[in-house]
Formats: sequence, C-alpha cells, structure tokens
Amino acid sequence: MTVNTSSALSLVDVRKQYGDHTALGGVSLEVPVGSIFGLLGPNGAGKTTLIRMVSGITAPDSGTVSFFGAPLKGDDIRDIGYLPEERGLYKNMRVGEQAMYFAQLRGMSKSEASKALKVWFERLEVDGWWNREVADLSKGMAQKIQFIVSVLHEPKLLILDEPLSGFDPINAEIIRSEINRLRDECGTTVLLSTHDMSSVDELCDNVALINHGEKILHGEVGLLRERARAGKIDFRFRGNLIAFTAALGAGAILHSAQSDGNGAHDLVLGIPSETPIENFIKWSSSEVDVLSCSPKVISMDEVFLKAVRSASLNHIIS
Amino acid sequence: MVGFIALLVFFTQSTDADAKVLVVDHHELISYELDSNNMVPSCPDCFPERNFLEYRFSSEALTTEEFLSSDYTLMVEFDDGIMQSAKALLQYETAAPMRVKAAIKRDLTEAIERLRVREESSLDYDTYKRLKVSIGLMTQDIVTQDKNAENRSLVGWVFSMFMFMFIMIYGMHVMRGVIEEKSNRIVEVIVSIVKPETLMSAKIAGIGLVGLTQIMVWSILSWVLFLAFGSYAESTGMLTDIMANQGVDVGATDLKTFMSSHEDLDVLLQINWFAMLGWGVFFYIGGFVLYGSLFAAVGASVEQESDAQYLLLPVMMPLLFSYILNIKILESPESTLATVCSFVPFTSPITIMVKLSMGVPWWHVVISAIILLITVYFMIKLAGRIYRTGIFMYGKKPTFREIAKWLTFRNR
Repeated sequence: MTVNTSSALSLVDVRKQYGDHTALGGVSLEVPVGSIFGLLGPNGAGKTTLIRMVSGITAPDSGTVSFFGAPLKGDDIRDIGYLPEERGLYKNMRVGEQAMYFAQLRGMSKSEASKALKVWFERLEVDGWWNREVADLSKGMAQKIQFIVSVLHEPKLLILDEPLSGFDPINAEIIRSEINRLRDECGTTVLLSTHDMSSVDELCDNVALINHGEKILHGEVGLLRERARAGKIDFRFRGNLIAFTAALGAGAILHSAQSDGNGAHDLVLGIPSETPIENFIKWSSSEVDVLSCSPKVISMDEVFLKAVRSASLNHIIS
Repeated sequence: MVGFIALLVFFTQSTDADAKVLVVDHHELISYELDSNNMVPSCPDCFPERNFLEYRFSSEALTTEEFLSSDYTLMVEFDDGIMQSAKALLQYETAAPMRVKAAIKRDLTEAIERLRVREESSLDYDTYKRLKVSIGLMTQDIVTQDKNAENRSLVGWVFSMFMFMFIMIYGMHVMRGVIEEKSNRIVEVIVSIVKPETLMSAKIAGIGLVGLTQIMVWSILSWVLFLAFGSYAESTGMLTDIMANQGVDVGATDLKTFMSSHEDLDVLLQINWFAMLGWGVFFYIGGFVLYGSLFAAVGASVEQESDAQYLLLPVMMPLLFSYILNIKILESPESTLATVCSFVPFTSPITIMVKLSMGVPWWHVVISAIILLITVYFMIKLAGRIYRTGIFMYGKKPTFREIAKWLTFRNR
C-alpha cells in the first residue's frame, strides 16, 4: 500500500507487542490533511498505544508511520502537538513561565511563545493567571492551560486524547469550538481519541474504530451513519395501524411501533435502499394521514455499539 | 548559614549556673582550719579561681537535707583512703556539667599529687613538676619527609563528609523530581518531545550543578571570610599579640607566619588546595551522577516517596557504608580497607578524599577516576532503561524481579 501524500498521517500495517499481549495487530489508517479524525474504541483497545506511536513516545515493532508523506522522525515534534489523557503540570511553577517552557521545548523562540501565549490566554479567558502558581488553579483552568500548551506552537498535527474529559459543559464547548476553529482557520489536522460519542458526532469528519488491537470500522462519519441507518426511517401517521402494516407487505420491514393515546402512531420502518424516501411518502400518503417521515438519525453511539458487537461475534465465530 | 553557625556557637557557650562546690576533707589532708568555721586549702594554687566554679572546704559532710537546702550545688567527699585508691565521691542534686567535673578532677589531682610527693619523696613539688614529662610524638614520612600527613587527613575527612552530605541530599532531590513528574503525568508530554533517557540525564545534571554551585559558594565565602579575618587580625596586630602571649618574641607577624607556627593552622597551608578542590569536583560529579542515576531509577519505579523505601535500601547502603568506613580510614589511612575503598566506585568519591589530602601517587587517583567513569557510564545506561519503562508503570509497587525485567525491554 503506497503512502498517500495528501494524508497528514499514514499508518501502514503497524504492529506492537508487549510480551504476550498484542497491543496492535496490523492497523492501517489515513488521516486526511486538515480534517478532524476520530480514533474510537473501548478501553484497552490499543488507542493509547497507537497514539504513543504517533506522538513519538514509542515506535512500532513493524509497519510504518508517515507524517505528511515522510517517515516520522525526531524533528517532526515541532509540528506535532500532544495532549495526553492523563495530563499534568508542574505544581510549583508559575503558569506563564511553564507555558513558555513547554513552548520552547517544542522549538518556539521566547518572543514567539510570549506573543502566542498572550493571544491564547485571552481567548480562553485565563489571562489573569500568568503569574500565579499552577497549584492555585482550579481543575478546569489547569486543563485549559494544558490545552493551550499543546496547541501553542501551531502544530500541523494535533493529537488529543480525551480532550473533553474533566471539563464542565461550558468549558467543554469552548474547547470544542477551538478545535473546530483550528481546523477551519489554521488548517490543523486533528487526531481525536475518545469514547465520548457526542463529541464525535459534532466534531469528526472521519473516524476509525479500534478494538482488540484491530481496526474494525473506518470512514466518513456521515457515510458510516448512513450505512448503519440501513434504510431506517421514522414514520408518524394517523390512521389504522393494522391496516397500514398489512398494506406495507413485503416492501418494508417494521422495526418498531408505538402509539400515543390520541390515535397517532410512531413507526420505525426499514425501506429497501432502491426506494427513494419521496416515493414512499407519496405512496403512504395515499394510505394514511402522514404526520412526518424522515430518515432515522443514527448516532455514533449506535454505530459504535453495532460495530463492536458484530466484531465480537466475528471473534467468536472465527 | 553563617548566622546559623554563629547562633550554634553562641548557644554552646555555657549557660550553666555557677557551681558552688563543697569539698569535704574528712582528715584535713589538703586543707586546714584557718579559724573557727573557716577551712582553707593547703595549696591555694591547686584550686584556682574560675568564673564558673567556687570552692568551700569543710571537714564535715552535710546531710542530704542540709545539702539540698544549702546553696551548694555539688559536694565532693574523700578521706585517707584517697591516698591509695585515688578516688573521691562527687554528689549532686542535678548532674554536674563536664567542665566542672573536669576542673574538680584536675584540682583535686594536683592537690593529692602534691601531698604524695611531699610525703613519699624528698623532692619538692616544683622539681617534681619539672621532671614530669609527656612525650610528644612527631610523625614523618620517611621518603617525602612529610611531617603533617595526619593533620591533613583531617581536612580530607571534612571533604569526605561534605561529599557524602551533598550526594545524599541532592540525590534525594533527583528522586523527588522524578516522582513528581511521574505522578503529575507531566512526563508523558515531555517524553513526546525528548527521549526519556535525555530527561533523566538532564535532571541529574541540573540538580548536580545546583549542589556544585552551593559547594562553590560556601567554599569561596569561607575562604574570603578567613582571609578577611586574617588580614584584619594581621593589621591590628592581634597576631603579634597572640604570638607574644605564647612566649614568642617577634616584631610583627603576618598571617602566613602565624599560621605556620601553629600546627593546626599550618595544616591549611600544607594542603594542596588545587588538587583537593580539582579532584573533589571531579569525584563529586562522578559520585553524584552514579548515585543520582540510581535515585532516578528508584523514583521512576514508584508513584510516591513513601513507596520508595524498600527500593532505596540498596542505594543508600553503599553510601552509608562509605560514611561509616571513612572513620576507620581516617584512623588507618594506609590500610587495605582504605585502599580498596578508594578504588571501588561506590565508595571512592567519599573515601578517596582522605587519601588525597595525605598525598597519594597520581596514578592511584587516575585509576580510581577511570574506574568511576566506566561505572558511571554503565550505571546511566542501566538506570535509563529502568527509568524509561518505569515512568509509564502505574499501579502496584514493582518487585526487584520486575524491575530487572524492565532492563530487557526493547527501546521504545
């Protein structure tokens, strides 16, 4: 498999073994430039191992990791930002001093770092805290500082491991909008590892699902959801339920039905993929009083669960 | 620091209340009755005036109640038997300070001695005193004609003690720093930027330099203070006065001459400071990196300082051994023990300072230095392996066997 040069990150058949335990058993994926890529999976799936390899902490036993078309090398750390899941700061250092330290570690000059930090501090509303010690910060503020420290040096690739964990809803929203802004305005590629599916729904363009060290699903979020939708529609109508169900015949599958007390019925139907939804609406309007009809919204949660279950089934079978 | 030492000195000056001693001379051996109720010593010179001690004499002892209600703090008692047994009894309500006891002992000894000389010989006491001799033993190296080796070894010993102290204190700093970074999870971010071994080495180097700076500051400060005081003493003629007091007649004295005429101070002139400080710095760096990397490895294996106890044992042992053995080495600097210790890399930084101060063939030091360097090199590698795996291990405290396994893990 040749390396795709329009990918910010390209993993080809990456494997990692720790003693008897296979952390990654041959994973390949492509992260397109300027996209937000979700790395999903249950705990222990191999996400952290993969992330550590991309952020430069470990190296694969076999397989390649390519960064913007070339094998990942030492200098690339200047262009990579990393926010680990378990994160911390030096408690007894001042906030500003520490942020400068980390910025310089990533290759920024003092003046560059200073300028960039002022902007970020203001944007995330922590600018009064420059001279305070980290130990004085609240958890949410410390997390914001940690986020700033990972993005400060304008990395081309930003690796975020559970970035929203520990944030209250307001701050989580701030971080979310920053991530989007980085992609939209700065063209940053973001590798987001999480098992918070609501973030995935909102943020990610593409995802890959890892379990037991293997990739079991990948693709564009929209497409995946559409696939998982499997032609399901939400259908609400007034009329005779039994008659309608009979009229459906073999043309559609009835997944579920609910009736409210006022004569309206909510059905989840599966219509064949060849049938455009408009045709079905047309047909059903002639049978009953259609209140609403729309494609069923499948959340990434459901996509995730479905994929993990069928993968486990495959494991059992094979 | 200087202020602290000054305070210490101030407090060690005695704050004891004055001792009032009743000497009970049952048979008027060394005292007699001048007039009613007033006994005086036969030889007043034996009981000189001191500002912390006052004597009264009596031939009758006080009862306990009488003593306690009197203003005497001590009561010394003896009778004829003292001439044979040479023992007297000192009774106290509260224990007597050492210098009071020493004074009483000295005075009583002289008094009884005079008595014995008078009664059992035909000498008069002054002749007796003149005849008494205490041989002074001077030591000299037969080859180098070096007379002051022993005194210099003391200086070397002081160097050793500082070496031990600094390696121990700053070594613990290294361990604490490693534990902090691990428990705070900062290490993960830093290790995504630099190799773990680099982080470890940099930490050891940084903290080691702090220790070195402190030693240098102390040394320079002490040296400056010493010179300053010395030249002050020189210019005000204080040195000349002291010399005169000791019966040496000189026109004027400069610091150097003063020092060379006093054995204790002469030592300071005799020491080869360049060699001592130069090698001292070298062995400090070597010793610190050696132990520092061990401390770092210990820190990387645990998550809090209290968990580190069992791992610290094998690290502290050679360090403490060096400290204890050093005293033996001071006693017999040419012994096999001293020689062996000055080559073994775990003890050499501390123990070689004594040998250095006494003068030792250059190749001896160089070989020890090379052994140290080689050991340091391997130790850093070893510690690095433990460090790079340990910092990612959380949960239970690892056993020594598990840590040994880490040594075999592949790089990254």
